Amino acid sequence: MLCRNPSDYVRETKKDIVPVQRNYDPDLHPFQVAREYTRAMNAVKMERIFARPFICSLDGHRDSVQCLTKHSTQLSLLLSGSCDGEIKLWNVAQRTCQATIPAHDGFVRDICVIPDGTAFYSIGNDKLIKRWSMDNYDAPAMTIVGKHVFTSIDHHYKNSQYATSGENVSLWDEQRAQPLQSFKWGADSHAKVKFNPIETTVLASCAADRSIILYDTRQSVPLRKITLQMNSSSLAWNPLEAFVFTTANEDFNLYSFDIRYLQRPFNIHKDHVAAVIDIDYSPTGKEFVSGSYDKTVRIFAADKGHSRDIYHTKRMQHISCVQWTADNKYVISGSDEMCLRLWKAKASEKLGVIRDREAETLEYNDALKEKFAHFPKIKRIARQRNLPKHVYHAKREHKTIQESQKRHEANARANSKPGSVPFVSERSKVILKEEE
Amino acid sequence: MTTRRTKKLLYVKERKAKFAARQTTRAEILHVEEEGYITSDKVDEEEQRTVDLTQADIKSSVDIFSAQKRFDLELPLYGPYKIDYTRNGRHLLLGGRKGHVAAFDWQTKKLHCEMNVMEQVNDVKWLHIETMYAVAQRQWTYIYDNQGVEVHCLKVLDRSLHLEFLPYHFLLAATNEAGYLSYIDVSIGKKVASYNTRVANGNGKCGTSIMCQNPSNALIGLGHAGGVLTFWSPNQREPLVKMLAHKSTLRSIAIDRTGSYMATSGVDAKLKIWDLRTYKCLHEYRTASNGASSLSFSQKNLLAASYRDVVEIYNDICDNESASNELPRYLLHQCSNGASASSLAFCPYEDVLGVGHERGFVSLLVPGAGEPNFDALEANPYQTKKQRKHAEVKQLLDKIQPDMITLDNSVLSEIDRKGFIRKQEDKRNNFNFVKPKELIIQSDKKKGKIGKRLARKTQIRDTKLKEFLQQQQLKRKKNKN
Repeated sequence: MLCRNPSDYVRETKKDIVPVQRNYDPDLHPFQVAREYTRAMNAVKMERIFARPFICSLDGHRDSVQCLTKHSTQLSLLLSGSCDGEIKLWNVAQRTCQATIPAHDGFVRDICVIPDGTAFYSIGNDKLIKRWSMDNYDAPAMTIVGKHVFTSIDHHYKNSQYATSGENVSLWDEQRAQPLQSFKWGADSHAKVKFNPIETTVLASCAADRSIILYDTRQSVPLRKITLQMNSSSLAWNPLEAFVFTTANEDFNLYSFDIRYLQRPFNIHKDHVAAVIDIDYSPTGKEFVSGSYDKTVRIFAADKGHSRDIYHTKRMQHISCVQWTADNKYVISGSDEMCLRLWKAKASEKLGVIRDREAETLEYNDALKEKFAHFPKIKRIARQRNLPKHVYHAKREHKTIQESQKRHEANARANSKPGSVPFVSERSKVILKEEE
Repeated sequence: MTTRRTKKLLYVKERKAKFAARQTTRAEILHVEEEGYITSDKVDEEEQRTVDLTQADIKSSVDIFSAQKRFDLELPLYGPYKIDYTRNGRHLLLGGRKGHVAAFDWQTKKLHCEMNVMEQVNDVKWLHIETMYAVAQRQWTYIYDNQGVEVHCLKVLDRSLHLEFLPYHFLLAATNEAGYLSYIDVSIGKKVASYNTRVANGNGKCGTSIMCQNPSNALIGLGHAGGVLTFWSPNQREPLVKMLAHKSTLRSIAIDRTGSYMATSGVDAKLKIWDLRTYKCLHEYRTASNGASSLSFSQKNLLAASYRDVVEIYNDICDNESASNELPRYLLHQCSNGASASSLAFCPYEDVLGVGHERGFVSLLVPGAGEPNFDALEANPYQTKKQRKHAEVKQLLDKIQPDMITLDNSVLSEIDRKGFIRKQEDKRNNFNFVKPKELIIQSDKKKGKIGKRLARKTQIRDTKLKEFLQQQQLKRKKNKN
């Protein structure tokens, strides 16, 4: 005869925890899948309810923000340059401006911080490269007068070298006032130059002749050049996969390339409805953020073709620069209307301390969301985003255009000799030519 | 098609799932309790049959604590009684036909409330927690709390004969005299569905009170005159299953908790065991004349059946290997004063069978009936008030929507191959690039004769368009070949 001793199941004192006996026999747990599905549905709804990505805007600039750089060693420090020649240092944790430096005449084009974090370089439309010490913002520690306007600057990840782009791509040493090397391959202007963070001798630049050029600092001539259909405005290297970089293109797309195989991009990231201006990878290399002329910031998974999230506000204008913070938690965007904006990288993430039980629940919910991600109802809720009107209409228009192009091509194929209009994959169409 | 990376991811996931399954099976070591059983003494070299044991014998040989679970309630005035246990087996609800309703904690014998509703009571049922229960009275169905205060009067459930509560869906199902099966969502208080079961059954007779739920897929089974058995979900006007169980009128149905076996009894004095996975009759037994008036499965698959004042309990009735048509009797009990039993229910997680009869209630000891190890997060007999409150919130959050009640509830856990193939095929022969023939008929009027004509024209247009597209598809196929 079944006879339970209540003391096995009831706590002894009020301060004790209540014993919870488990029996995992599936017969005792009917409708397990249906209940999990319901929980997943609740979790995904909750995620959308809590999706409030915008944290704050940092205002203070008196002209549109042109460039944005995170500090190499300090997590909360951020540097931004504006079109009136001012550089501002921000403490993101306290959301305050630490310093304002009237650095250049005209635009501040770009800023880069040296790896040990004691100084930073800035370049401007006044053809100057200025080195600033982190202790003294009154006057630059060093000024180099260049021959042409510089558009971007990036520091080597280990050495005391840095690269600038402008009419050509030049490699400089911190100790010298003349470039060590200058690279030129056809184009008369370069928009961006970036060092590879792992393969530190490799760098890439976006040139104005719609090309992307790869260089090796150990060689005197550029390595490779690929010409795309339209201009690229920016590029970013994947911080964990040395051979991967992604370019932000003016044809609304982003292209991910493998430098070992440059015939075609290995992924096309679509969703923006205007030229993409800037891109930055997350420190994990799994995701990247892009800012576009369509006044939105989008976050893409590095291996997915479409964005996982879109950030926008009514007041935010054309994005000129985006950064993903080094703690993988926040995204910062700088835009034309003089504001920097701080966003959460995961829109529904809770800020602040999370207790163990809460963390456990969140993990469980994440697992459920992943498990049931392909169910139509759950998928629809997870994907639902309210777009600004102009983006919504532009997207529809863009879709119509693409569909009609496809239709034209299919009709041409249907009405011509078999084989005369071959299928060309979309990825292959991107690259016009590859040169060595 | 898959990359090496996804393959590895899948492999890791599979391994983790297997590991989890292994660990949960291993967790059985932690179970504290053991099932009850009867060992027979050898009397004169002859094994004593368990059927010969009386309740007094069992009561005298068990411990005091268990012996308290054997008791009689003499309530001769208001019977016959309908009974219901809560899901954790702690509380008992009695409803006498002449209006007597009582709710109490039957283990401590603490009475929650007792009242006379001054109306005929057809059925009583606990809702999701022990603070609320539904009573099907002559006119309406009422919901009372455990103090006996009337909380709701459900006028959508009128003249109900039988109630069933689906705890995971929060649905209260009721059949009424007019033959309607109605579902009420008790969490929001709305009617989910109501179907006329007579229409589907094709006979003009009145409603049925033979009703049971399948605990594994939440279908409601109804027994009709003529031996027809139907299974219903709230999503379909027609029954999902309709079967001829007996050649005469059904008397009772019971389904075990795994949803794989069903027992039915009919006026033809037969007791049949069905396999609900194949809908085939496994065993057919002859019983006392007129058949069992009520049936009930325990958690460990003992079956209790009542024949007038006799309650019989069978073991191994579902997986009976022997070919003989002898009923595998386990225990027997005869109600005192010849009071015929009206309602049977095994108490969950206890070795107890509750019998409501004409003159009150009997609690019988049936060793080996209950699941010894409960899951505290599912149903906890030792629940505190706070735990109950938390559990209610969790239960409400996990409420399964009524549209998810299906015959085969493994659909959600399976891969939708058909849908995938359909999608692939749609993709292959999409007609995006072929302009369909324009067949536009212009008219703004949509009412009256013209409207009807327009509707007809639209229909014709649509069919023509469909035909055209089909022809195109055929052409393409021909070209390909």
